[in-house]
Amino acid sequence: MSFWRKLTDIRNWKTSSKAAVILFMAAVVLFSVLSFINLSREEMMESASDQIKQIIEEEKESTRKYLTITYNDLGAVSYLSFSTSGAKAIRESYVGFAGRTYNADMGLAKFTGQMVNYTYRMLGKGENMLHGVKLTLMLTTLSMAIGFFLSIFLALGKISSNTILSKLCGAYVFFFRGTPLLIQLFVVYFSFPIFFNFSWRGLFSSTDPEAVYKGAFLAALIAFSLNTAAYCAEIVRAAIQSIDKGQNEAAKALGMTYGQTMRTIIIPQSIRRMIPPLCNEFVMMIKDVSLVFAISLMDITTISKSIMTSEGNYLVFLPALVIYLIITAVLTFVFGKIEKRLSIYE
Amino acid sequence: MKTRLIAVALTLCMIISLASCSNTPTDGTSSAADSSQDTSNAPTAAPTAEPIDISGVELINAGTLSIGVEIGYPPFEDFAEDGTTPIGYDVDFAKALGEKLGLEVNFINTAWDGIFQGIDVNYDCVISAVTITEERKETMIFSDPYINNFQAVVVKADYTGEINGFTDLDGMTIALQKETTSDKLMKDYVSTGTIECTISANEKVTTCFTQLTNGEIDAVVVDSTVAAAYLASDPDKYKLAFQDESEPEQFGVAMGMDNTALQTAINKAIEQLEQENYFEDSVEFWFGA
Repeated sequence: MSFWRKLTDIRNWKTSSKAAVILFMAAVVLFSVLSFINLSREEMMESASDQIKQIIEEEKESTRKYLTITYNDLGAVSYLSFSTSGAKAIRESYVGFAGRTYNADMGLAKFTGQMVNYTYRMLGKGENMLHGVKLTLMLTTLSMAIGFFLSIFLALGKISSNTILSKLCGAYVFFFRGTPLLIQLFVVYFSFPIFFNFSWRGLFSSTDPEAVYKGAFLAALIAFSLNTAAYCAEIVRAAIQSIDKGQNEAAKALGMTYGQTMRTIIIPQSIRRMIPPLCNEFVMMIKDVSLVFAISLMDITTISKSIMTSEGNYLVFLPALVIYLIITAVLTFVFGKIEKRLSIYE
Repeated sequence: MKTRLIAVALTLCMIISLASCSNTPTDGTSSAADSSQDTSNAPTAAPTAEPIDISGVELINAGTLSIGVEIGYPPFEDFAEDGTTPIGYDVDFAKALGEKLGLEVNFINTAWDGIFQGIDVNYDCVISAVTITEERKETMIFSDPYINNFQAVVVKADYTGEINGFTDLDGMTIALQKETTSDKLMKDYVSTGTIECTISANEKVTTCFTQLTNGEIDAVVVDSTVAAAYLASDPDKYKLAFQDESEPEQFGVAMGMDNTALQTAINKAIEQLEQENYFEDSVEFWFGA
């Protein structure tokens, strides 16, 4: 209750947070207004040259079309381009902004158009969850969650007094830390189907055209989770062992079991100490995910590389950097908040 | 230990500098005689091989033709069993070219992504099954073609359907190598809305065939020459479903925009090789028929 009262009591806010909120609201309002007055696909198509319009008419009925129409809508700005394949190679592009259409064949408009197009492709807009930023985020978050869950058991196993269990968990960590992630990915995606006689695509509906990507995603998720579990296990083990031994002994003296001690005393305290290295692992993971290029998934890095090779434009890396930085910034902020929250125990 | 390392490094340095010393004289002559290129264009039409004048050609390493190649595209370029010796149709062709031009040949293995950005930086030319396209001609120049190629569709041997054209791939899941002509062609079919199919774009062509074997995809779209090699080595695994004879593609040597002197020299060498029936024999050797 007090949280809401604090939040709604605007008069007592700090000046800096007031300013930040006002700026943020202003940006949101500006963006929505610009998005609202921005042109739709049909309106932008109007500005196409007669030649293009003629081709569109001609190709309406034909079975082999040659004109590619690209429309990228990023809210406030939109980009429309026409290009034909083959020897003729007609190219026309337009940028829509503030209710007007600008020819984007050269200069600043061309640059804006390219950036809109590249950002749109990297965000994987208009595609399903297995493209671009969405793929990166989903794969990182899911494999971190699964990996962290597994790692708790691995860590407990490794410090357990049961020699066999401890050796087994140690071997797991040794194996997954000692081999490259890319090769683990290859083994899961290419070798497992041969060993166990199945196909990753076959695990999904055969009528689903996206089944091949889903299969690859599942393989990547398994490989990344198993790998990150090994790294997290060491983080968790170090955090647990960093808690003063005296607490363990005190719990024992009070008659608590091993499980009770771990659940109620040791693990809650060690979580705070895990946060910084876990954040580190998370941030590294975001970039490791780009290894999915090897199994034909398209994440941010793969998309920017493919744009670079097909268009020879090195400016494509600018939006890629910005996107990565934004993700990392948000992540660091969230982990920082969690750490602060949990530090009241110390 | 450290001193021994330094000694080794010094010896290496000396060897390298000695090696480069022996190259300098050739470099001197090549830059001095820039005008001789015109005379070499004179119609001599010699039936027997005559040495090709390469004095106007500027190379990154004098006396050596550095060639960018993405090794991992059999049968055009691949590593032999030993893992270090490049072999393949392109490799043989490059060596024949080097012999004709009187140059050493140095293969520089590079990733296909960005292979053209390396021209004139890391190597003089690219011989790596490069299709001559109008689009590419805007940023580089090509030699005369040295082999013809078609786009082909390969399916599993037990596939029962019929494919008579790329439009028949509608609704299928296909694999192809990223940023190749096959990729451009199929993306074009999809982006123009001609057909709808799921594309698995891979870094290596071998990945595509592994995916086909594992049942991840339904068909591979690939150069006919490459398809022929895979079919020859695994006839009970794969079969050729369709070959697009209507639009032949030609492979050429790609060079930097300003390197016309090298282009002239290479074209001359290709002409001579043609007269010697080199290409017929080599195609026979690498692709059967």
